[in-house]
Amino acid sequence: MTGDVREPTYEGTRRLRVRYALLTAALFAPLLYSFLAVRNVYPFAASTMMMAGGDLGRGASYYRLRGENASGEIIDLPPAELTDALSWRHWSLVGETVKNRQFTIYKPHPANDTLAASAGGVEKLPRAARLAELLRAWGGIYNSRLPDGSPRRLRAVRLEAYRWEGGAYGDYERFVESWRVEL
Amino acid sequence: MTRGVPDTAEALGMVRAGVFGFVCCEVLLTSFSDLGRLPVTVLRPTGVMRLLPWGFYERLLTPASMSAFKWLFAAALLAATAGALTSVSTKAAAVLFLFYQGLLRSFTHFNHDEMPAAYILLVLAFTPCGDAFSLDALRGGRRALPGGSWVYGYPVLLARLLLAWSYFTSALIKLRVAGLGYLSADNLPALAVSNSLDNMHDTQFRAALWLPAYREYTPPLVALVVLWELLFPLAVWLPRARAVILTIGVLFHLGTLFIMNIFFPYHLAMYLVFVDWPRVVGKARGLLLSRFGAREPGAA
Repeated sequence: MTGDVREPTYEGTRRLRVRYALLTAALFAPLLYSFLAVRNVYPFAASTMMMAGGDLGRGASYYRLRGENASGEIIDLPPAELTDALSWRHWSLVGETVKNRQFTIYKPHPANDTLAASAGGVEKLPRAARLAELLRAWGGIYNSRLPDGSPRRLRAVRLEAYRWEGGAYGDYERFVESWRVEL
Repeated sequence: MTRGVPDTAEALGMVRAGVFGFVCCEVLLTSFSDLGRLPVTVLRPTGVMRLLPWGFYERLLTPASMSAFKWLFAAALLAATAGALTSVSTKAAAVLFLFYQGLLRSFTHFNHDEMPAAYILLVLAFTPCGDAFSLDALRGGRRALPGGSWVYGYPVLLARLLLAWSYFTSALIKLRVAGLGYLSADNLPALAVSNSLDNMHDTQFRAALWLPAYREYTPPLVALVVLWELLFPLAVWLPRARAVILTIGVLFHLGTLFIMNIFFPYHLAMYLVFVDWPRVVGKARGLLLSRFGAREPGAA
């Protein structure tokens, strides 16, 4: 008798039943809490995507990533082609970086704490305080795939912010602001 | 309870191979080193990911470290898919998947796409999913357990329930948060348009811009989707309902892709837990034998 759940005995079968019961409880109890509290606590999801629905009056702020290559051409630079690991989720990385959300989490990165302190507090930081690093990283990834001297290599990356004011379907592309970094 | 659920060691083994195999393909096709080039200062660790110190993230988020992580992860997934050292490899792969998804969510936002897959991997990791259809079984290291059909049927049932939970609660939360306002004529068009203007989504379909012209037809469509999500649990037990519900599911996810540029590939892939694989393989084998089998012995 080894106590292994694989033992073809009553004891082995009982242990397997207990294991299944614990597994079920360990998964469904936190999932039930997440659902009742409408709260996502990784790794337990409350299926909150699209829960509020769309609102015509709210409109939308959105972003376009572009690159300026060595030959002066402006190209569209979808982040999904640069960091495919973040597929279907780049929009929130950019949106949250523009809003400086990295500085307002429970325990920010020490470099972010230092930057906020030097600015006199998080609220005094310029918008998109860490965006330049992100744009530079994306530009670097794009250029790393091209040979040196290629006219397609980027010399700058920029993020353009637009606004659809809502209220009516149309006039979707009101330019708001942009950020540009040289590579 | 496991009525209508395949309950053999072979069925559970095939589900293991399919689920881990899908994740393995996804990981092999993804560049981890590019992710390692992103600055650690844009990271916002979420949930249990907050327990890890910043020094760990700094060491991990380099192209070399992320590449090493990728190959370790892929090796665990490959072993779990093949059913080699199943007990260890499935646990390692499930934990690494959980960590990887937490890392991605720490850069971005928490959505529930990959989460049922994460839970299903955990279920498989703690059940005897390597007793058949595995290298371990071929080597004679494992054999099917006695004790009744629940031994292999319950994990498959649990996997189905986890996916059904995702859809069911998604519908309930919509009704709780937005109420009947969720069925307003502008819900779908406004949501679809706002997801179709940027170049941050993986696809840039512009079909949403046509939707406002047909806005009065969208509330019944949205109501049908909510109803379908509420009825999804029926697919766990009822074979006839299953075929309809899963077909609508495929159409729904393709619809959100083309209309909203939102896609949940992991949810779609996890539909494989609803398939009775030994039966499918048996039918395919029978079909092949009836077509080609007669020619084999001295056919010439």
